Amino acid sequence: MTTTIQQNGNQWIACFNGRLDTAAAAPTADAVKPLMEVANSEIILDCSQLEYISSSGLRIFLSIRKEAAAHGSKVIVRSINADIRQVFMMTGFISLFEIQ
Amino acid sequence: MDGLDFHCQLLLDEYRDALPTLQKMQEDVMERLHKALEHNKLAVTTVESRVKTEQSLAGKLALKGAKYTTLSDITDLVGARIVTYYTDDVDRIAALSEQLFEIDWNNSVDKRRLHQLDSFGYNSLHYICRIPGYDFRFELQLRTTLQHAWAAINHDTGYKSGVEIPREYMRRMNRLAGMLEMADDEFSRIRLEINDYRRRVQTLVANGKLDDVLLDGDTFRSYLQARPLDALNKRIAAINQAEIQEVPLIRYLRVLLALQCKTLGDVERLFRKYEEDAYRLARHQLGNTDLDIISSSVGIQNICIVCILATGGGKIGLVRLFDVLNGHNSQNDALAELTFEQAKNLHLWNLH
Repeated sequence: MTTTIQQNGNQWIACFNGRLDTAAAAPTADAVKPLMEVANSEIILDCSQLEYISSSGLRIFLSIRKEAAAHGSKVIVRSINADIRQVFMMTGFISLFEIQ
Repeated sequence: MDGLDFHCQLLLDEYRDALPTLQKMQEDVMERLHKALEHNKLAVTTVESRVKTEQSLAGKLALKGAKYTTLSDITDLVGARIVTYYTDDVDRIAALSEQLFEIDWNNSVDKRRLHQLDSFGYNSLHYICRIPGYDFRFELQLRTTLQHAWAAINHDTGYKSGVEIPREYMRRMNRLAGMLEMADDEFSRIRLEINDYRRRVQTLVANGKLDDVLLDGDTFRSYLQARPLDALNKRIAAINQAEIQEVPLIRYLRVLLALQCKTLGDVERLFRKYEEDAYRLARHQLGNTDLDIISSSVGIQNICIVCILATGGGKIGLVRLFDVLNGHNSQNDALAELTFEQAKNLHLWNLH
């Protein structure tokens, strides 16, 4: 599992690649720390290469969303696959995020 | 400053010496005002202040310097202004100011009450105040946003008083002032009536008279305060011993209206009618996973899904549901398809 973060002006893009399971949660949480301070920006969580997400992964997405809201930023989850869409649906997270 | 007589020059010298004191007084005034507004939960559009500039003071002295014996005779060296949303908040903040500061009643005017039939404009409340520890007084202006807009635009015309302005324009400015005064009164009345409506709704909800309450944003919020979906969400959470992440449910108002709920009674019946199927859907979805976090929207989401499916709304109905909740986007078709296939496996409804 790898996470890369790019900044393009007022837009921050986090690209997740692999399986965001319990084992990957801690390094991923570290990797997304720069997003926690981003203010008044758009944060895109690019999931086009994300194969799987566990509860730990959902918690990371949730904490990004909470910090973004506190700092006036907006989070968009982009390009989730069918399995992850199902996870978002089953947990009610689908109505927490803007999904593109 | 050139052109000022000796007396005025002395007043200006006095001003230069007093400037740090005036600046400190400005800070103290602002601190007291901010604290009082926050403590009393009074929302306002603007709280601002200024210390009169030397240039502005010189201009004033050039016009009427002989009127002032000492600098402390000038009451607007420090000025503060609060602009409110509502006209009754002006009165509320005036009352607060009377507790915060000592009001110099001989020099304070409520221009709102001085209006004569032929008076000019739409004016505000001006208090001349003292704050302990300072020899100087300061001016506090209280006005509504509409009064402020009128005053700002009037100021922009360049006429400083009603005497200067040509009669034709004065008449038109006064027409606007009258109109804005009526608008201010109406805004205050609307606020009072909305507050009264909310109180009545809360009473009806508390007394369980849900059929008497039309469904709208206010009433739905009141209903949600009773946490009517807690039991369902806890049952769903228990499937995987999940934690529940609280989220606002107000976005489901549009869905419930689309599902023909007219009153809170309709909402209550819909919830109770479909909560068991909503739970079964959740158990079917979550039972084979180790997902141990859910949002508090999962109960109402599943109720809406099963209601749509049970009433023959099919995949198209689900797409519409997700369009309302998530905004129209291409993912919603796939989401509807997925949900429909999962629901089919429950064999609860005759789905094809």
